[in-house]
Amino acid sequence: MLCHVTCLATVAVLFNDGTHKELVSSVGWTTPDELFSCSEDHQIFRWNLLTNETTLVVRLPDDLYPVDLHWFPKTVGGKKQGLAEIFVLTSTDGKFHLGSKTGRIEKSVEAHRGAVMAGRWNYDGTALITAGEDGQIKIWSKSGMLRSTLAQQASPVYAVAWGPDSDRILYTSGKQLVIKPLQPSAKVLQWKAHDGVILKVDWSSVNDLILSGGEDCKYKVWDSYGRLLYSSSSHDYPITSVAWAPDGELLAVGSFNTLRLCDKTGWSYALEKPNTGSVFSVAWSADGTQLAGACGNGHVIFAHVVEQRWEWKNFEITLTKRRTMQVRNVLNDAVDVLEFRDRVIKASLSHDHLVVTTSLQCYVYSTQNWNTPLIFDLKEGSVSLILQAERHFLLVDGAGVYVYSYEGRLVSTPRFPGMRSDILNAQTASLSNDTVAIRDKTDQKVIFLFEALTGKALGDGKPLTHKMEVVEIALDQCGAASDRKIALIDKNRDLYLTSVRRLGREDKTNKIGTMVHTMAWNDSANILCGIQDVRFTVWYYPNAVFVDSDLLPKTLCTTPPQPQGLTSPPPHPAPTGEFSRTPHILNYVGTQVTVRRADGSLVYSTVSPYPALLHEYAGSARWADALRLCRFAKDQTLWACLAAMAMANRELTTAEVAYAAIGEVDKVQYINSIKELPSRESALAHMLLFSGHVQEAESTLLQAGLVYQAIQVHINLYNWDRALELAVKHRTHVDTVLAHRHKFLQDFSKQETNKRFLQYSEGVEVDWEKIQAKIQMELAKERERSATTSVRSSVASRR
Amino acid sequence: MAKDPLAEACLHFDELNKLRVLEPEVAQKTTELKEECKEFVDKIGQFQKIVGDLIDLVDELAKEAETEKMKAIGARNLLKSVAKQRESQQQQLQALITEKKMQLERYRIEYDALSKVEAEQSEFIDQFILQK
Repeated sequence: MLCHVTCLATVAVLFNDGTHKELVSSVGWTTPDELFSCSEDHQIFRWNLLTNETTLVVRLPDDLYPVDLHWFPKTVGGKKQGLAEIFVLTSTDGKFHLGSKTGRIEKSVEAHRGAVMAGRWNYDGTALITAGEDGQIKIWSKSGMLRSTLAQQASPVYAVAWGPDSDRILYTSGKQLVIKPLQPSAKVLQWKAHDGVILKVDWSSVNDLILSGGEDCKYKVWDSYGRLLYSSSSHDYPITSVAWAPDGELLAVGSFNTLRLCDKTGWSYALEKPNTGSVFSVAWSADGTQLAGACGNGHVIFAHVVEQRWEWKNFEITLTKRRTMQVRNVLNDAVDVLEFRDRVIKASLSHDHLVVTTSLQCYVYSTQNWNTPLIFDLKEGSVSLILQAERHFLLVDGAGVYVYSYEGRLVSTPRFPGMRSDILNAQTASLSNDTVAIRDKTDQKVIFLFEALTGKALGDGKPLTHKMEVVEIALDQCGAASDRKIALIDKNRDLYLTSVRRLGREDKTNKIGTMVHTMAWNDSANILCGIQDVRFTVWYYPNAVFVDSDLLPKTLCTTPPQPQGLTSPPPHPAPTGEFSRTPHILNYVGTQVTVRRADGSLVYSTVSPYPALLHEYAGSARWADALRLCRFAKDQTLWACLAAMAMANRELTTAEVAYAAIGEVDKVQYINSIKELPSRESALAHMLLFSGHVQEAESTLLQAGLVYQAIQVHINLYNWDRALELAVKHRTHVDTVLAHRHKFLQDFSKQETNKRFLQYSEGVEVDWEKIQAKIQMELAKERERSATTSVRSSVASRR
Repeated sequence: MAKDPLAEACLHFDELNKLRVLEPEVAQKTTELKEECKEFVDKIGQFQKIVGDLIDLVDELAKEAETEKMKAIGARNLLKSVAKQRESQQQQLQALITEKKMQLERYRIEYDALSKVEAEQSEFIDQFILQK
């Protein structure tokens, strides 16, 4: 469960020593505290934020005017790169230059006619792409050898960006954006994105979203299919720079005298109006806490993300300064101040614990005691994601995924071949007390499941494979490990539920909702909430789909769009997205659901407390209490939940009452018939049949040696072939099957066409009286047997 | 009266009985003229000096007027630019205000939602108590 960040603001610090004499064209971070900037005064400066020192790295030749600067990526496929610290610098004379950290220009390559507008390394550092004023896009090897000219157009290319897997590129073509796969035969996607020339683009590797800004003074967010997700209102000046934060949660936008910090859904957290001139380039530090901008008046602007807020139950935590947090207990207004040695990078508050990571350490606070945190060192500083469960928490950094206990012990490190932990987010990874689920990046249909305590793959080690690309996963948080369920939303926005631990039997993945944009499990009961289309829906007992799928719709609680609705358009000069702009569920704690609307405002919704109580009673087998609760609440939904829960726990008496309460007479009758069954095995089999598990019911009966009953089950289901097969295999009741078949055909006045039945009916005489007698005998045998076993078992229990 | 033969020879005696070529009257007049001329030249010289001074003074004034004029133009331009500056400042503040308004609206919505939750919960409590 993620705690949520409610508010953010940047504090801008302006370095005003006028080091650069001309406009600064680009900036790039090497470490979280070191920045390089290049300017049209032919100088490259290094800014050290720890010592506040600025040093001249190199003075470039007088005819070299830098345009863009990009550092070689630090991590390659989860592995830390050696000290191959080089950067690419493009210039107006059509060349790009590869330089080292000391400022030595190792190589200059003639690349384009006219200026080279952008140069970008791909994520694994194997290729470099340059875009020129001559309208060409070229791919180069790491050492600067030309590989190919990927595209050619009549107008200048102002910006270029790599796709998340480095297999596609995005570039600008006037007012249009173009996504071009590197494979020559693959389809090119092109669309008109802005009303003015597009100046900058960025593509997040974590959330796969595209950000663009142009001369029409707007910035827009797109998905990778070119669908508009957000369009800003018109600014006063053109947007001159855009950048995604490394974790894909925030984005930064620069314009004339403007720096804006926005959520990934587009709405603005904070606006700063520093006196900088146009901000030509913005860059995030790798830990996502700092932002640098290259300003038109020769300044370099630095901004820090502060004022983040986390809320959980009665605690409210604010990051007041870079190294200081303030904890407020709303119940008694007690305020604690937490100080850290280093800058706070990530924090998460949930399950009675606050987990804070700084650049070197991890602090674990209990909400009972804010004075003595548990502190341990981190291998790598830049933690990109924290997930919490009741018993342990998960840290994700560039190198891997780690499960820690709240005592600070490393519990396990789940991993699978080809894992890229740097791009995991809360939608693609999930943690519960016993399970870790991670969606694969290369094949998005695949979900890897791990035992949280050992880090080993679950079951036979095969990952869960869905039939569609999965966009969001969530594990339920309560109950036994063997009942662990995972909810997943696929590309079609269908919501599925399936078991994590498949004990031999083939468990189905059941669809429980459509058009689901967002979902969350409750933290204390296995209740799921989500937003289906425009309605807020709560699945009080999603397991019902495995027990009695007809019951599922009755266990739902759906609220229509709320008055100041979850999806109603905001009253502001809001950008007009033509696609439904969807709200996002932040968390579901206790009875309260917190939803972030598309315009950034938070709305809360309460869910009735009864279902959670019912879950508790069912979990501890207090069926009498459960019945009393349902009678008290007088709610059909609750009764339906109870019916499903009772059936799941094979609690027939309760189930009968509950089904009666919701008027499912047929089911009550069936339950009654199950109750009258002579043996435990056939009762079990019929309960399995009740949930639609025919195969399992059959094998249960066969295991108990109740062949006739198994055959009868198939006869009742008109499953003729299987019934005959069983009868023939066990050399019994072939005539029974044939008799029933004959009767069935007669009733529907049909001719026998099934070859097998024709074959067997030849040699067998059908005599109803004999058959009836045989059946009676079988039933008597079963009764007798179960009587002896029950006596035996009662004797055993007495002993 | 007999003609003075000297006069006929254009010779005259003056009062001091000195022999003169010019008639004494004319001579006197000439002298007077000479005197007056001298006086005139002096006066003209004086006048010229005064006029020179005046011109210098006027020049100086002109210069001063010029600088004042420049100053006035500068001030006027400054005034204009201040107005522009104010405008851009206003624009910036306006942007910040819009931002805050958006935030306010978000808070308002959040408050409404919370109020609704409160109402729902107190309703639930009331119902709960009544049913008991």
